[in-house]
Amino acid sequence: MFRRKRKLSDFNAEIEAHLRLEVERLQEQGLSANDARAAAHRAFGNVALVQERFYESGRWLPWDQFWQDIRYGLRLLRRSPGFTAVAVITLALGIGANTAVFSLIYGLAFRNLPVPHPQQLVRFGAHVGEDSFVALSLPMFEGLARSQKVFSSVFAWSGDGVYNIEVGGSISRADIWAVTGNFQSELGAIPEMGRLISDNDVDLRAPSATQVAVLDYNFWQRRYGGALDTLGKTIKIEGLPFTIIGVLRKGSSGINAEAPPEITVPLTAQPLLDSHLHIVSEANIQESLQRPDALWLEAAGRLRPGISLELARAQLDSLWPAIRDALAPASQSPAVRARFLSLHLKIESGAKGASFLRNRFTQPLYVLWGIAALVLLVACVNLASLMLARAASRGHELRVRIALGASRARLVGQMLTESVMLSLAGMLGGLAFAYWGSRALSRLIVREIYIVPAEVRVTPDLRIVAFAASAAILTGVLFGLVPAWRSTKEDPNSALQESSRALARKTGKLGGGLIVAQVALSLILLVGAGLFTRTLQKLRSVDPGFRTRGMLNARLSAKPGGYHHVDFAAYYRQLAERVSSLPRVSSAAIVHMQPGGTNSWTEEVRVKEANASPVRVDFDMMMPGAFRTMGISLLRGRDFTWQDDEHGPHVAIVSRSFAEQFFPDKDPIGQRIEITSHPKWQTVQVIGVAADASLYDIRRHAPPTIYTSLTQYGPDWSGWSEIIVQTEVPASAMRNAIQEAVESFGHDFVFRLETIPEGMERSILRERVIAILSDFFGALGLLLAAIGLYGLMAYNVTRRTREIGIRMALGAQRGTVQWMVLRETLILALLGMAIGVPSAIAASRFVASMLYGVTPSDSTVLASVSIVFLTVTLMAGFLPAYRATCVDPMVALRCE
Amino acid sequence: MSTRAEKERLELLQGTLDLLILRTLIFGPHHGQGIARAIQQTSEHELLVEHGALYPALQRLEDRGWISAKWGISSNNRKARFYSLTAAGRKQLVKQTAKWKRLSLAIGRILDARTTEG
Repeated sequence: MFRRKRKLSDFNAEIEAHLRLEVERLQEQGLSANDARAAAHRAFGNVALVQERFYESGRWLPWDQFWQDIRYGLRLLRRSPGFTAVAVITLALGIGANTAVFSLIYGLAFRNLPVPHPQQLVRFGAHVGEDSFVALSLPMFEGLARSQKVFSSVFAWSGDGVYNIEVGGSISRADIWAVTGNFQSELGAIPEMGRLISDNDVDLRAPSATQVAVLDYNFWQRRYGGALDTLGKTIKIEGLPFTIIGVLRKGSSGINAEAPPEITVPLTAQPLLDSHLHIVSEANIQESLQRPDALWLEAAGRLRPGISLELARAQLDSLWPAIRDALAPASQSPAVRARFLSLHLKIESGAKGASFLRNRFTQPLYVLWGIAALVLLVACVNLASLMLARAASRGHELRVRIALGASRARLVGQMLTESVMLSLAGMLGGLAFAYWGSRALSRLIVREIYIVPAEVRVTPDLRIVAFAASAAILTGVLFGLVPAWRSTKEDPNSALQESSRALARKTGKLGGGLIVAQVALSLILLVGAGLFTRTLQKLRSVDPGFRTRGMLNARLSAKPGGYHHVDFAAYYRQLAERVSSLPRVSSAAIVHMQPGGTNSWTEEVRVKEANASPVRVDFDMMMPGAFRTMGISLLRGRDFTWQDDEHGPHVAIVSRSFAEQFFPDKDPIGQRIEITSHPKWQTVQVIGVAADASLYDIRRHAPPTIYTSLTQYGPDWSGWSEIIVQTEVPASAMRNAIQEAVESFGHDFVFRLETIPEGMERSILRERVIAILSDFFGALGLLLAAIGLYGLMAYNVTRRTREIGIRMALGAQRGTVQWMVLRETLILALLGMAIGVPSAIAASRFVASMLYGVTPSDSTVLASVSIVFLTVTLMAGFLPAYRATCVDPMVALRCE
Repeated sequence: MSTRAEKERLELLQGTLDLLILRTLIFGPHHGQGIARAIQQTSEHELLVEHGALYPALQRLEDRGWISAKWGISSNNRKARFYSLTAAGRKQLVKQTAKWKRLSLAIGRILDARTTEG
């Protein structure tokens, strides 16, 4: 840099020419050749100094030194390829793991939606208490939209509805969103072909819906093969024809951070789809749309320029009570009305979009990040001790350089350059590993939560690369600084005289300290891994209270138009009988909500005569005989019967814990319970008490549960039920038979068939992910610690060769010598464990909420981890110890 | 310039050396060794410049564009790098010479003054 055009060689040539001329002149004057040369040099002065000054005057020294260090570092690294390879791989794994987890966290929790001006988006909706789902009814939305002044535009949608579609004759399911006319344009969607849903398509006052649809790009590629004549074709949704009017450009996002809508239809089509399914009994679009108390719309708005979120919140909060109270249904029971009036608005930023995964996985991901950071730290310590050993072997060279005038800062700088270069090389490998790892992890998580295509956006962008780079540089400095500082410490004069033995001993102490740190860190990792693995074990061995072995679960989905004039009680009875009479099936029953999966169903109830406020409890609907199939015993009273139909009094069965909580000193049979969550529910009378079962979350033991009878609720609740089949035959073998049996009735088809244990595995996905990854990282940490121990011990043996030789020459037994070396290893390991175990216990407190069935100081885990560690330590130390005794005493005594 | 302890030699300031070099070149191009000899001889051996100190000064002058350099053949058939004055260098020489003369005149007046009262 700043190099002038003249080269040093040219300058040197000139000086040489000068000297030659001068020598000749002096010779002409009579001096001898030698005298002339001497006199010429004397007259010139210090040639080297002049050359140096010329060289330096044209350059900026620090830049030069930087490049020099890089070239020197590269040379050194090339000379020890083994060390370089190990270091780069270790760093790639450590940095890569951290970057992978960071990409996931960033993609889940921090990335904004890829829409124009995401920070302007604000979502709002109504909810009660701690409900996380917020929604509005259409009159509420319109009321707010009319009176507000903080948004430049508002839009609403009903999303995440999975319906049956028919494309080219084959039926499948797709994620369908019904939206207002400005939804797509406000989110920056661009059509690849055709047009977007517009205000013309969504006339909220029209008696019928415009049946048009816009397809997502990937959906179009998958189902239509990207055919260019797709526009104008008809796609059947729930049997109803919709005309395709547009296809979105690739990468268009909805408001869901993970899954864009596959098909978008006008808002007015939603009641049509639902009524066609007989979910809603009214086929009158306007009546469905205008219901004031049906909370089905999610809404958002774009802030006007200059308006802040707080301002918007304040205004909406002030408008809300009037709107809500005006819409409160007058004809409902006081409890329902009171609940309606307690709805309040939740207003939050929509910049990051809606996400299913965010809440469930953010905390585990942070924990994983902590683990990955620990692994990187272990790797750093490992590399630091390796660098220390290298510096020790370069000790003499360093002393000489110091003696020749190199400043300490310069030497430290050179060694730091080397370590940062290693880190950056590791970073490159790490980025590749991170990309692959984060995508694999994202797929694992998403696949088990979403049934439609979805992904966490983990494509590396500048922030992720910047993170990796800073991690790399920090790492390089961290593991390079201490060895560099240490090895350039001594006063060169005394150091040159000191024997290499004493020098190495001091280095050995620091090296030992590093090993202790490594052991402690690896121990924390292993304890964490042990705790998470044990949590998983415990979760898997929980008895949920219902039968899991040999149980299949078939989820039914309504065929388009399949629910015309169905007598559900008769249908279910016959269906259950048909399936249970299949060969090798012990019994079959129909329930509404799948037990042991990832879904749950809760309702608010209160005892009729008491004055208490409603409590949320687990809920399910069972067919008569379902309890027997599911293996839940009835403790008191009776099961549902086919005589409990729509015309009779509504009955219910409660779980033992429910009875204990709500009727502590009374006989629960005959008591009346009010279900307050929805006007459809009538008051029910308890006819039986069932044993406790954790239907929906095995982490909760014996939750209060209430069951109602499937036969007593008409079309509104009877779609999408589940058939529970008790059979020893695996699901794959039963699939056809069950499918045939279901389809023979013509109302439903089998949407998914799995075993109940498979469903339960899905429900513990979080714990599985954490256990797998913490095991991996724990093993990695252990491996690194073992390598570090081995390396240090090998190095120690090398430097104590002379001492060992003397001992053996004086008659020490091999065993004694081996023990002497091994003892050092053990001391270091024990010291590390003494620090590591309490630290691990303390660190585990942070993740206590993610554990199940184990405490942070679980003795089994601690004991097994300690044993593993000691074993590995002994193995790592044994080889050097053995090699030590193979030393020929004569050779050892001679070497220095 | 000179880092030697020889106090008899007059130590010259850096800028002064530049002036001397420019002046020496007014008679035509010289190579480095020639310039050194010229300074020595013309000052009648009062000024003994360390030859090595010449070269950084020459480089500086070349960087500033006051002299230009070219490799050539010396009088006794040796390769040497010859320096010649540029137009800018000529202008500089006039300016610096005038300044030096004014300076030396002023100093001379002070040194020759008998008393302070006039």
